Amino acid sequence: MARERTLPRRLFSALAPWLVPIAVLAAWQLSASVGWLSSRILPEPLAVARAAVTLAASGELWEHVSVSAWRALSGFAIGGGLGLALGLLTGSFRKVEIALDTSLQMIRNIPPLALIPLVILWFGIDETAKLFLISFGVFFAVYINTFHGIRSVDPALIEMGKSYGLSGWSLYREVILPGALASILVGVRYALGFMWVILIVAETISAQAGIGYMTMNAREFLQTDVVLLGILLYALLGKLADILARALERYWLQWNSAYAA
Amino acid sequence: MNLSDSEIARLEADRPPAAGLGIAIDRLVKRFGERQVLHGLDLDIGAGEFVAIVGRSGCGKSTLLRLLAGLDEISGGGIALDGAPPQASRDDARIMFQDARLLPWRTVIQNVALGLRGDRAEVRERAERALAQVGLADRADEWPARLSGGQRQRVALARALIHRPRLLLLDEPLGALDALTRIEMQRLIENIWRQHGFTAVLVTHDVSEAVALADRILLIEEGRITLDEPVALPRPREHGQPAFAALERRVLKRLMSVDAINTRNRLPGRIVDIAVGCPLSEVRIETAAGIVTAVVSTRGLHEQPLELGAEVLALFKSNEVVLASEGEAAR
Repeated sequence: MARERTLPRRLFSALAPWLVPIAVLAAWQLSASVGWLSSRILPEPLAVARAAVTLAASGELWEHVSVSAWRALSGFAIGGGLGLALGLLTGSFRKVEIALDTSLQMIRNIPPLALIPLVILWFGIDETAKLFLISFGVFFAVYINTFHGIRSVDPALIEMGKSYGLSGWSLYREVILPGALASILVGVRYALGFMWVILIVAETISAQAGIGYMTMNAREFLQTDVVLLGILLYALLGKLADILARALERYWLQWNSAYAA
Repeated sequence: MNLSDSEIARLEADRPPAAGLGIAIDRLVKRFGERQVLHGLDLDIGAGEFVAIVGRSGCGKSTLLRLLAGLDEISGGGIALDGAPPQASRDDARIMFQDARLLPWRTVIQNVALGLRGDRAEVRERAERALAQVGLADRADEWPARLSGGQRQRVALARALIHRPRLLLLDEPLGALDALTRIEMQRLIENIWRQHGFTAVLVTHDVSEAVALADRILLIEEGRITLDEPVALPRPREHGQPAFAALERRVLKRLMSVDAINTRNRLPGRIVDIAVGCPLSEVRIETAAGIVTAVVSTRGLHEQPLELGAEVLALFKSNEVVLASEGEAAR
């Protein structure tokens, strides 16, 4: 558009996406304070904010968030790391693919949450069980996309690299890994989303700390404001992880105009 | 990028003797499964020579280039690059493909420096010099996606040159460029070739490109060399020169007649009857396979008169052949 954009116009276009959420919040607050909504069903937004402030002031909130984040990230590191390593191996070596890929594809079809009873039998109900579930859920998203990424690197570029004297690790570093990176990052983003889903379920089974424990506990005492706060925290953490993954994409794939900022 | 004649003369004086690689190809055979692409091809290319190979799609010219680059295994016969097999001379030979094949995730200068080892600053300096040679010094830190097709090919050329190859193989590198950029690139390649003195083998569809650049034009048909035409025009060559145009026409004509001269399609014979009609006439030819009747235009017959008893070649075009059983043929 050639027309000059004036300040109020710019301000409006920056605020426009927030109009609907703000209106919903206002309506919600209003209906709660007038008494249309019982606070047992849906507490007013201000109550949620008050709960957040109280829990944050007592330090309880940070403890729960950090325990949850730690669980999620260690599970992601283990599962994602294994998925990356195995995906690179099966993608690069035909023999490893023949040996492993079929078995992995079979296991992939098991929904991780179906394993819960077995996992409790194996590991009890402490941290190991939660880590296992998260790792298991995250593994396949990273594995499949890594394998696919390595396989779909342009063979013409590999041939070019070889004819320019690249081989072994240098060929891997210059051509194969960067070529597979876009696909690997898709796997990472998908895995990050899935990581929170599994974390939520794992934390509601049984836990002594974490956001899930906090919300389950609050349910017992009918503290709907804290329950709602827990749900909002999951949303916030999920969004943070997604922002992080996007930043990685933007940095690593800046050569690709589809990802350039 | 544009060198004056005196500069070229100076560069030619600087040129190290025998910088190029001599090529000796002996009864070279290449098969892909059942299909034989090269049928015992013999060829010698002198050190520093610029050879262009033309031919129809699928005639085996790109296969030959890939064998020279050591990218494929040969099925029979031999290739010697200064006496050594192509796989052993891999560091001396560089290939430029039709698509530039730049790594999109490396900047222009990183692409140029691909495969170079050694001190970082020194590598960067060499790459900058190679880029300057192709006139792209100011684009060093951009992504390849930002460049035009012609600029990408220039980067690919710089990437090949940085290794100081003694043999440069060009697999239709200018095929996808527009006419003007193509002529610019031809000039650039010619200048750099004169400067470096490497042996160059160019595969191309474009006969005028072959005439503009090559010392020798080879025509490959059905996996064999069927024309070896020296180009004695002085350099730099202008596309409009009469001698240029005449040579281009000759090679083109030869290329166009490839289908007709295919040995499997010709029957030697003698004219036994000419029935003149209007507008078509029939010429009956006695061959080893029996009587063949050719329908020609009466006008054509007047322009190129035929005599009874003359020795002629009956040629088939596959799109006009009808197969019939013996009984039908008798009718």
